Amino acid sequence: MMASRKSIPRRTVLRGLGASLALPLLDGMIPALTAQARSAAAPVHRFGVVYVPNGMVMESYLPATQGASFELTPTLQALAPFRPQTTVLSGLDCIPSPGRPGGAHAKASTRYLTDISPPTSETWLDAGISVDQILADQLGAQTQLASLELAIENSDTAGACDVGFACAYTNTISWRSANTPLPMQHNPRAVFERLFGDAGSTDARARLSRIRQQRSVLDSVREEVAGLNRDLGPGDRGKLTEYLESVRDVERRIERAESQSGRELPVLDRPSGAPASYEDHVKLMFDLEVLAYQLDLTRVITIMLGREFSGMTYPQVGVPDAHHPVTHHAMEPEKIAKVAKINAYHVQLFAYLLERLRATPDGDGTLLDHITLMYGTGLSDCNAHSVTNVPVVLTGGGAGWLKGGRHIRYNNLPLANLHLTLLDRFGVHRDRLGDSTGRVDDRQLAGL
Amino acid sequence: MPTPAARALVLGGCAWLLAASAPLTGARGGAQVRGVAASPAVPAVRATLDRYCLGCHNDRLRTGGLSLASLDPSAVGDHADLWERAVRKLRTREMPPAGFPRPDDSTYRATAEALERALDAEAERRPQPGRVAVHRLSRTEYANAVRDLLGIDVPAPALLPADEPDQQTFDNVASVLSVSPALLENYLSAAYRVSRLAVADPSAPATEEAYIVPLALSQDERVSDDLPFGTQGGIAFRHQFPAAGDYSITVTLRRQLYRYIIGMGEPHQIDVRLDGVRLRRFTIGGAGRGMTAPESFAGNTQGEPQWEVYMHTADEGLRLRVPVSAGSHEISVSFVQRFWEPEGILQPPQRGFARTTNELYHGHPAVDTVAVSGPLALAGGSKDPQPRTAKALFICRPPQAAERDCARRILERVASGAYRRPVTAAELDTVLRFYDAGRADGGFDTGIQRGLERVLAAPSFLFRVVREPAGTAPGAVFPLSDLELASRLSFFLWSSVPDDALRRDASRGRLREPGVLQAHVRRMLADPRSRALVDSFALQWLKVGKVAGVVPDVDAFPEFDENLRRAMLDETRLFLADQLASDRPVPELVTADYSFLNERLARHYGVAGVYGSHFRRVSFGGTVNDGVRGGLLGQASVLTATSYPNRTSPVLRGRWLLDTVLGAPPPPPPPDVPTLEQASPGRVLNQREQMEAHRKNPACATCHVRMDPLGFSLEQFDALGQWRVATAAGPIDASAMLPDGSRFDGARGLRAFLAGHQDEFVRTFTEKLLAYALGRGLEPADMPAVRRIVRDSAGQHHQWSSIVNGVVASVPFRLASSERAGS
Repeated sequence: MMASRKSIPRRTVLRGLGASLALPLLDGMIPALTAQARSAAAPVHRFGVVYVPNGMVMESYLPATQGASFELTPTLQALAPFRPQTTVLSGLDCIPSPGRPGGAHAKASTRYLTDISPPTSETWLDAGISVDQILADQLGAQTQLASLELAIENSDTAGACDVGFACAYTNTISWRSANTPLPMQHNPRAVFERLFGDAGSTDARARLSRIRQQRSVLDSVREEVAGLNRDLGPGDRGKLTEYLESVRDVERRIERAESQSGRELPVLDRPSGAPASYEDHVKLMFDLEVLAYQLDLTRVITIMLGREFSGMTYPQVGVPDAHHPVTHHAMEPEKIAKVAKINAYHVQLFAYLLERLRATPDGDGTLLDHITLMYGTGLSDCNAHSVTNVPVVLTGGGAGWLKGGRHIRYNNLPLANLHLTLLDRFGVHRDRLGDSTGRVDDRQLAGL
Repeated sequence: MPTPAARALVLGGCAWLLAASAPLTGARGGAQVRGVAASPAVPAVRATLDRYCLGCHNDRLRTGGLSLASLDPSAVGDHADLWERAVRKLRTREMPPAGFPRPDDSTYRATAEALERALDAEAERRPQPGRVAVHRLSRTEYANAVRDLLGIDVPAPALLPADEPDQQTFDNVASVLSVSPALLENYLSAAYRVSRLAVADPSAPATEEAYIVPLALSQDERVSDDLPFGTQGGIAFRHQFPAAGDYSITVTLRRQLYRYIIGMGEPHQIDVRLDGVRLRRFTIGGAGRGMTAPESFAGNTQGEPQWEVYMHTADEGLRLRVPVSAGSHEISVSFVQRFWEPEGILQPPQRGFARTTNELYHGHPAVDTVAVSGPLALAGGSKDPQPRTAKALFICRPPQAAERDCARRILERVASGAYRRPVTAAELDTVLRFYDAGRADGGFDTGIQRGLERVLAAPSFLFRVVREPAGTAPGAVFPLSDLELASRLSFFLWSSVPDDALRRDASRGRLREPGVLQAHVRRMLADPRSRALVDSFALQWLKVGKVAGVVPDVDAFPEFDENLRRAMLDETRLFLADQLASDRPVPELVTADYSFLNERLARHYGVAGVYGSHFRRVSFGGTVNDGVRGGLLGQASVLTATSYPNRTSPVLRGRWLLDTVLGAPPPPPPPDVPTLEQASPGRVLNQREQMEAHRKNPACATCHVRMDPLGFSLEQFDALGQWRVATAAGPIDASAMLPDGSRFDGARGLRAFLAGHQDEFVRTFTEKLLAYALGRGLEPADMPAVRRIVRDSAGQHHQWSSIVNGVVASVPFRLASSERAGS
């Protein structure tokens, strides 16, 4: 925590220790600090993904009715206040490519945003760029950070990875390229430092001087890599090119930070660490997420509420059993009920994020109006490892394009088709993505 | 550095390199076959294949995509990878599948041996060392390097995010250690932070670090060897103080669900110490006035307001301000032990809801968090005592030494250590440019800090590369340079950079002289830094790190607490460290009859006469738990890591044994077939019956007939490794029958069985150690090297050092293949 030597009235405490986790001061007091060019006519459009692991109990999750009259199922109950901004999508599939067997869980998380089925690969990596990262390429040009990747579970204790697949496949949903998974950060303090730099303060002068130092380090590092590359074979050079690209990314972000360093930021304390309780941790991460959108530090954020294959327990909602094993419930009613409890609990936490977004003014509306937020998981029926009809819920106003309050059923289309349509809506047009066969009807999503 | 010409050795040259460093090579038997065609074994191999394998693996059926019909056992080099697979199937008796005609034992062995000899001879003629990708320092390696270069003690997780371990469970696999912008920023931040700590930068901003005691750590007794006798509960930790100055230490006590501080019924004494010296003794508790809330209904009703306030705020004064010098210091907080208990019925430890709601009004209070923040005010400039770490860094100081000259000396020393080779003049100029900028900004120390920051961000520090000598032909084999070899060696044994002694010999080209490298290996194994072999290699190989994250079901295991979790991991660490330090034969890991226990773990195991939190060596001598404790198989860490939170899993344990101990991991389950565990509804009752039902599915049976019996033999250990003879379903049947007909019973039987399969265990250990040493997954082409290490260490009964030496002398460790053109 920063013990600043002068007292600043608008001081907010982000503590990782106990009850005072929220950022009450930011609630509605400061409108989102979006860049210069924004006007009511062209609000900033943000993208977010909230991933939950291990499929769902479909009977409790999926509304039976389609269209505007769909019923809020027990799992989705917590979304009641956000019904007008909620679209439930069904009939979307994540079917692995033929000839690439195994790894149901590795594929669930990997495919959710990449639409690519990795081959069995324990000691190497082969997926593809994920939708959030395609968007980060585009939207990141405007912000200091191209994207943020967040998690709750610490990959430190990752012991259970899907059979035949490196742990990266189950630990992340964001891929910068076919072999660069983006590690998801679980420590709120590290996220804070990523958002506000390691100057230890959001004070403009301190940040600017630190930014300039970092720049000179990067410049000189880049020269050194060029020299090193001369002595290496083509494969090794590839690895260092990856590194150089990272250097360029960081440089770009630093330039942007420099040009925006005059911007007024609320003076914040750095959180000390990860809270002990799962729920506090999730909420703190959501707070940081809202903060990042609000200050326009990034427009693309992904978060995993548990890694795929997760064995986390949820005694706080009456499920002391490990998540993954209990999802293979063998049709026992008691176990099915437990999985449904976990599913509903996750949605309840998600509603907290929606609430915070809705409470934050942005331009002519709120952050919730100006975001396309995708919630879901890469398997449907967890017991059977089903890859058809995977849960997808779109929330937010999509900066004007997305009309909620409906359940839309597709006729078994690849999830990739939805991805292409979402990309279109951000002005990124691609012909294909993974196993896409076309697009979904975006007029339907727009309620036309 | 040797000239490229000297390094570009032709293949014949490699032999002397290996021979010069390995007296072990002399131990090879006379059975060496130079030309396979000349071997009388070939027709026999052919006949065995024709008789037992070709029924399925012929050109027409190609079962499993393999035909052996046209493969020529007299020219194994043409398809070495297929032959290696065949050898493995023969060695593990996986093929022919159960139910098909199988060769007798001696034929099995003779065939495998003949093929191995041929493959080894081929490898001798044409070594294929493979290659390791550019290696980014892992988080652990980075933290160790910082410790060894600058004497700074910052826990790795505080510096960098975790690396993705690969499926083989090592976190140092080069091809998986990728780079992302976020990670790069982390490295830059770490460089900044570490360099400021190194010079004890007085302009360091005040920070707060919170040290949290896990909720489930029982604080009713002494909790750590780092706390004095006569204490109870609390926490001890090392904190890196960024600069000399005043710091505040704030202690928060444990609260229950309704935020009452627990244990406030009577006064308690609590001590705060710095480096073992008491700073202050606080007395807290017993001062609540007015009517209390009813003890069992707290949360539903309230006590009088003044009492309520006290229960929420009694620990507010647990704060002190103290001047501390820069560097690493130990802070400890603990209660003074109370040698009496309130009268009444002794209560069992509380769990779940009861635990979170009971404020234990008359029980023991507990520490929740200790936060250290500062510096709040800096110590006066001239009196500022130099921390030990900074003293080691500043080998000279102006005005005694000329300023820039001194900076050059300091930075050159650190940079050569960090880059693991002499720095070039141009590199030093770059670093000095940063020094100059910092010198202009804030003086000499700031200059050094900026120079250090640049060194720690350098690709030459962050990446380990093997340079190909100029003019190496694609696919050609070349030896690593001495400096590259030194790096590989130190990252293998220490997970860190080479020290001065090793680097000095390497830069003089002395590592090729007879005995020099072995002397370094000996020296490095004796060094405390070799604990990395336990903490990084062994714990990852055994996959027990998982224990740090398990959350056993509180209903099934109400007695589980953090003290037990820690004891489990400590036992395994101490046992492995002892085996390594005494250089025991590796098979003893399984067969040893001793281990290390403290009171908590002894109680868990049902071992009498072990008191206190301190671990000590305990010999079981076949008397405890039917003689099953001792060695890895009886350790709670292993048994817990291979269980589910609420029950055991013979499948997980069987798989662990196959993979970790016998080196015959089952393939992944076929697509869309639920694994046995998943299909069974998790009843402890009829696992054996269910398993048998599932074996009717031939797709499941192939693997489960091997996994499950092994796992069932450990069924007398519950999901936390406690001994049991029966479950609710009745007595436990821990008998096992393997596909080859061998039978044994229980953990003791399993140990005897494994003792009879030492070859597999030693081979598995060697494979894992070699993969870890190289930082890459093994390929079939590495198997001749593995077999040679195993053979050569047989004379020393496969002591740890003999296998380590074998790895260091092996082809893949010392040589590399040039990248093939275009790949």
